[in-house]
Amino acid sequence: MEDILKVEHVTKRFANHTALDDVSLTVPRGSVYGLLGPNGAGKSTLIRIINRITAPDSGKVWLNGRELAPEDVYRIGYLPEERGLYKQMKVGEQAIYFAQLKGLSRREATVRLRQWFQKFGIEYWWDKKVSELSKGMAQKVQFIVTVLHEPELLIFDEPFSGFDPINANLLKEEILGLRDKGATVIFSTHNMASVEEICDHITLINKSHNILSGSLEAIRHEHGTGIFEVEFRGDREALRRQLDARYTVLADSEEAEAGRNTLKIHLEHHEAIHALVAELNDTVEIRSFREIIPSMNDIFIKAVAGQL
Amino acid sequence: MGKSKIGLIARREFNERVRKKSFIITTILTPLLMVGAMVLMAWLMTRENDRDKEILVIDRSGIIAPQLTDEGTLRYRIADRTLDEMRQEAPAGAYGILIIGEDIMTDPRAASLYTYESSTVDIEKAVADQIRRIVEDRKLKSYDIENLDEILAAIDSPIALQTKTITETGETQDSSSILSMASAYLFGLLIYMFVFMYGTMVMQGVIEEKSNKVLEVMVSSVRPFELMMGKILGIASVALTQLLIWVAFITIVGGAAVNYFAGDLMQAAGAMNAGAAMPMDMDPDTMDQAVMLSRLTDVRYMLTLVGGFTVYFIGGYLLYAAMFAAVGSAVDNEKDTQNLQLPITIPLLLAFFVMFNAMKDPNGPLAFWFSLIPFTSPVIMMARLPYGVPWWEVGVSVALLYLTFIGMVWLAGKIYRVGIFMYGKKPSFSELFKWMKYKY
Repeated sequence: MEDILKVEHVTKRFANHTALDDVSLTVPRGSVYGLLGPNGAGKSTLIRIINRITAPDSGKVWLNGRELAPEDVYRIGYLPEERGLYKQMKVGEQAIYFAQLKGLSRREATVRLRQWFQKFGIEYWWDKKVSELSKGMAQKVQFIVTVLHEPELLIFDEPFSGFDPINANLLKEEILGLRDKGATVIFSTHNMASVEEICDHITLINKSHNILSGSLEAIRHEHGTGIFEVEFRGDREALRRQLDARYTVLADSEEAEAGRNTLKIHLEHHEAIHALVAELNDTVEIRSFREIIPSMNDIFIKAVAGQL
Repeated sequence: MGKSKIGLIARREFNERVRKKSFIITTILTPLLMVGAMVLMAWLMTRENDRDKEILVIDRSGIIAPQLTDEGTLRYRIADRTLDEMRQEAPAGAYGILIIGEDIMTDPRAASLYTYESSTVDIEKAVADQIRRIVEDRKLKSYDIENLDEILAAIDSPIALQTKTITETGETQDSSSILSMASAYLFGLLIYMFVFMYGTMVMQGVIEEKSNKVLEVMVSSVRPFELMMGKILGIASVALTQLLIWVAFITIVGGAAVNYFAGDLMQAAGAMNAGAAMPMDMDPDTMDQAVMLSRLTDVRYMLTLVGGFTVYFIGGYLLYAAMFAAVGSAVDNEKDTQNLQLPITIPLLLAFFVMFNAMKDPNGPLAFWFSLIPFTSPVIMMARLPYGVPWWEVGVSVALLYLTFIGMVWLAGKIYRVGIFMYGKKPSFSELFKWMKYKY
């Protein structure tokens, strides 16, 4: 997959601390890229550098294989964590203004805005002042403003914070929809559930360093525990005795007693899966077989605690 | 970011502000209030002057009292009580007591005026003049000159001093110091007020954007410098629009009023502008007014003033607006601005006070230097311009002003782009200086 964005050895120091220390990452085109990390890790600074709001002390940022240039703001849509609109300005006029700042003509902006407003069923907001809207309503307007110029790279800083569950879900669907249309989405979050749901690549930033980077698949695989769970129909104790000879079968946990007919087996090597499955298949009727994969949350906490 | 977006930003600032009800109301109401205040002041002044002032006279010489004549609002009356009685209890309606000593003919200090309220120079002068004239007349008569009365009548010649200013090109021009002073005051004050008013508007705008959290979105599309300049220029155009409306209003209403009340004077003034001599039969007061009108309707003179005002207002506003923008960017709310505003308010206030000196002594050293210093030159030069200022001084002053403006915008821009992302602390001056050095 071709890469849309490359961040190379970026360092940014402020008066009292280093926000980013030699951070590099690569964002594949068409991916949903999660930028994870605890508060104050440097995510927002990195996002500001990509948006050219602030410049790195050293290091470079490449977009589409070229060094980031002023015109690139037209190719980027940015929804910052600190969201805001002009309170006294009317919704429609304000949206047009922001679109014009992103290089759209007044006419083009109006046409596209009408479509979006129709899609969200909010046409009647057009002549309202922003101060008359609720917070959630204003967030919707802000989202439309962010994506209106159809940028190839979308950056959302903590997009789900401040959204109610219904709007958060709407936002999630829109993000995936934009990805399907070919946009690349970067978003920063510390909400791991949303990462597992929509990200395919991630970078974990902690204390201004990139401590973990890659596709979600690979990372989870890499941090796999080697423990497999099989659910089956048949004699549990017989199977346990049979497997004990060649495999490490884990002691029963509470859930086994709860009526589920399962066993957990630890494998030293992944290659042993085939043999195990074959043996299980001969003995019992397999209902499910899966690797126990750590949640992103576990990986996140472990990584941050320096236990990797 | 390709094409500069300053124009787009300025247009938004302009549209948002001129559509506000408050803008429309102040634009209409201010000239009305000003006219109202002027009418009220004129009315109060005539009322005060019309009030009769009764002076009770105790004349121990017996010479002066019979010859005192009422003059203007001054009324003389022979006192019917003693000084001590009148000291105890002021007679109703009395302004003061005039006591003439027995030896008034030989002792110039033998007359005293006691007043129940503090007297004015005009009154003292009027009273002293009358006594002097009576004493002089009496002394003259003692020489037994024949036909004295006719001689005195023949030599009485009131002088109406006609003042002219010699211009650089050697031409002479009728000058009216009252008009010059009024224009100096008006234009100096206007610049001071406008710079303050619209500068504060810039600061409030920046604070509002900051507290609305709209800046981060903006700055991902435009450079902070463009944002700052867009705001400054947008508000400048609001100010100029308002000014234009007021100038149009004053020209129309003032022109109509002058034509209505003083059509004859207008003709005289027009004739004077056309180079004709002053009509001889005019009395001095009317002549003064005619000279004033001739200046007011002198296109070149007015163009100098209005042009100067525009150049100095724009320069002064831009200089101070940049400073106001930097202060606004550094704070979270208006309450925190007081401290940081000091470097703005002190030179402005200083200019305001020096202005009064410059009006009295437009070519003195204080006025000269303060009209060159960019932080005070807009106000001070406007106070000097009505009196006429050498072109090179204006040139140097304008050049300095605009150069300083460019430097200030550059510095303010550096503070601004750091300040707009600083939340939650009240910065000190030393911090602002540090921000200037940040690399972005």
